[in-house]
Amino acid sequence: MLRQRYSHGMDDAGPAQGPAQGTAPAAGPVWRFLIRPRWVGWHLLMVVSFLGMLWLGDWQLHRALGGNGLSWAYTFEWPLFACFAVVFWAKTIRDEFRVKRGQAIVPDHGQEELPLGVGSVQAGTAAPKEDEDAELSAYNDYLARLNAEVKRHGRWHGLRS
Amino acid sequence: MKAAVLRYRVMAYVTGVVLIVLCFVGIPLQIAGKPAVANDVGVLHGILYIIYLVCAWILARKLKLATKPTVIMLLAGTIPIMTFIVERWVTRRFINPALAAQAEPAETVSR
Repeated sequence: MLRQRYSHGMDDAGPAQGPAQGTAPAAGPVWRFLIRPRWVGWHLLMVVSFLGMLWLGDWQLHRALGGNGLSWAYTFEWPLFACFAVVFWAKTIRDEFRVKRGQAIVPDHGQEELPLGVGSVQAGTAAPKEDEDAELSAYNDYLARLNAEVKRHGRWHGLRS
Repeated sequence: MKAAVLRYRVMAYVTGVVLIVLCFVGIPLQIAGKPAVANDVGVLHGILYIIYLVCAWILARKLKLATKPTVIMLLAGTIPIMTFIVERWVTRRFINPALAAQAEPAETVSR
């Protein structure tokens, strides 16, 4: 009974790996995710904060020219923050493209640091071995399902992929 | 990974302490008419925050954090006391699991 229920892999547990790991299956070109409402919100936030930081830098420049010596530090600091925001944004989008295309994100040997078992738990349990009894394979499937659920849940709240 | 965690922690605490000094010592003195402390500590915090940004950003990428926690981590350095809270949260939620996963690979139960 139990074995039969789970014997077809983790169909009901959601995809654990691969490009279509997000919510909806990819329809159309990959860049489409950029115009989803959530992403548009991030874009707007970035534009506003970028312009805001440039404006603050300009304000500090005028204060500095007006005789406030302390403002010189901030005059250079705000544009620096603005640049950082742009770099952050570009890298985030690039990472997202990689995730959507099913490539691993490897900033600098981050991927190799992951343990071997993490990605392969599901593959191991999808087909129960003959010498496993039903109870044990059901338990392994249960662990794999929990794993898949946690992975999915962490998508926006925490870990990427 | 461990080096990145250490750098982030050191910068989180240093930036946090300086920001607390700025907000709870410097600003009251400035209001009282003595802006010297606020000026000096303000610039110091500005410089430290840049370093904090870089360290937190590197760690966030090593941990493969999604956008939201990354932004929270980066902005924590501008709000008093938040660096400490966020550091604890990040440690419990992301750093410890990552380090544990590094130490021992996950296994399925077998007899």
